[in-house]
Amino acid sequence: MKHAMWILWPSFLVGVVAEGVFFSMVDPTDLHLFGQPLELSRSAVYTLGFFLFWAFAAASSALTCWLQHGINGSESSDA
Amino acid sequence: MRHPASGLPPAPAGVSPGGSDSEASLYEVRQKIYPRAVHGWFARWRIALVLATQLIFYGLPWLVWNARPAVLFDLGARKFYVFGWVLWPQDFIFLTGLLVVSALSLFLFTAVAGRLFCGYACPQTVYTEIFMWIERMVEGDRMQRMRLDRGPANAVRLSRKALKHGLWIGIALWTGLTFVGYFTPIRTLLGEVASATLGPWETFWILFYSFATYGNAGWMREQVCKYMCPYARFQSAMFDRDTLIITYDAQRGEPRGSRSRSADRARLGVGDCVDCGICVQVCPTGIDIRKGLQYECIGCAACIDGCDQVMDKMGYARGLIRYSTLNAVAAKWDVRRMWRRVLRTRTLIYGALLLAITCVLLGALYLRTPLKVDVIRDRAMLARETRDGMIENVYRLQIMNTSERDRRFTITATPESGRAGLQVMAAQPVAVAGAHTASVAVAVRADPANLKPGTYTIRFHVEDADDPALKVDEKSRFYMR
Ligand code: SF4
Ligand code: SF4
Repeated sequence: MKHAMWILWPSFLVGVVAEGVFFSMVDPTDLHLFGQPLELSRSAVYTLGFFLFWAFAAASSALTCWLQHGINGSESSDA
Repeated sequence: MRHPASGLPPAPAGVSPGGSDSEASLYEVRQKIYPRAVHGWFARWRIALVLATQLIFYGLPWLVWNARPAVLFDLGARKFYVFGWVLWPQDFIFLTGLLVVSALSLFLFTAVAGRLFCGYACPQTVYTEIFMWIERMVEGDRMQRMRLDRGPANAVRLSRKALKHGLWIGIALWTGLTFVGYFTPIRTLLGEVASATLGPWETFWILFYSFATYGNAGWMREQVCKYMCPYARFQSAMFDRDTLIITYDAQRGEPRGSRSRSADRARLGVGDCVDCGICVQVCPTGIDIRKGLQYECIGCAACIDGCDQVMDKMGYARGLIRYSTLNAVAAKWDVRRMWRRVLRTRTLIYGALLLAITCVLLGALYLRTPLKVDVIRDRAMLARETRDGMIENVYRLQIMNTSERDRRFTITATPESGRAGLQVMAAQPVAVAGAHTASVAVAVRADPANLKPGTYTIRFHVEDADDPALKVDEKSRFYMR
């Protein structure tokens, strides 16, 4: 549970920042997917974009958590 | 967490970090902490700030300005309305400036008085405060709540709980609606809710935000501050021995011990702390401030109010727990001396920076020309010859009227280096409605008799036909063949 918070929350913050920076520079209607213009409303793209950013950041946090876990584990077994 | 500047031993957390018992307590969050209601000077301040911030948050979307919402982040049209200003993606710099100002304010406040933000203005604190207030209204104060939770699951308990959660969910939903009301005009939104025609994305965000509010303020509470908040962790970098923090005056309070009101402290050999535990009971994060500064302390000052009441009852001087600095407590400085140190180089630098950036930002916002022009050359064709022997280049001009008035613009063009006149072929003047963009195809012609073949830098001048003071120059290139 605590791990879930440690993964979801920082990635949420990073997701918010990424969303803000990205979409203040890029207009969703200019985006293309596999050469096709996206046929979605702007709010749809904003929402999906946000969750995409969040998901990627969460994946990174999860990896960090997982790697750190291994290190702490080996340290405590050495001691 | 260590406080490098504090010189205090890193105080152990109230809850052992990690380990299965704290893990379990996350599932049954309210298991231990039943904050007791507290009254006093700081509690009144907190209530005032809760009211103020919430009045702003819930009220702003309803304000009307120029027959439109005063504050509206219209993501669909990529325009932000903030009172008299209409901000476009090109004004991103102002948003950045605003973030810098917020960060600096946070540094300043933290250096001066620790976690002021946490205790009084953080949405997490504010909503927790509101939710706890409801809890108190429905379930009673600390003892009654504990008894209710320990008692049998009878009709009284179930109805109380149902009422509490009902009220919580109601507030959470209204909060979610208000949040989305910053992005969609709130009156439209309410109309859509009433007629059940709310769009899928709006529905989703209202529910998402409501759920977050309900979960964080109703269930997670102090866990958010303890485990999730990055600010709680890096604040120690902004603290030093002259930062005002909530401190327990151990020299005065110890050795603690209970005694009767009339007992002679000197004869008993006890300090001023009567070990009543009020300071622990009122603490929303459930820590004992008498163990020294701990990272869980959100600086809400509830323990100050609580202890002052006890001191009053005992007939002792107030301020056994008070806002003070580590230096001041250690050296027993008076308030004047302490405040002189609070205004130290660090805070003065933060303060000066903050003032400077705020002024620049406001100045820039005030002087901002409500007109922006982008020139895009037609890439398909460099230059062509017209029937009457002139050379013509074609451009597209994006004229953004960022004011809210309808305006008419005239377009002229001149080569950078004096000489020959350029002829601008476009339907003039160009009318652009308030807060709108016009895209105009413009052909520019030059007489080959006046201009040798080559590339020339030219300037477009876009000028308000009714207000010549409002004009913008934009560079582009002109090909002559
Ligand atoms: S409230 Fe004051 S007197 Fe009571 S235990 Fe806390 S510090 Fe001691
Ligand atoms: S120790 Fe005092 S100031 Fe800190 S969180 Fe607890 S009640 Fe608030």
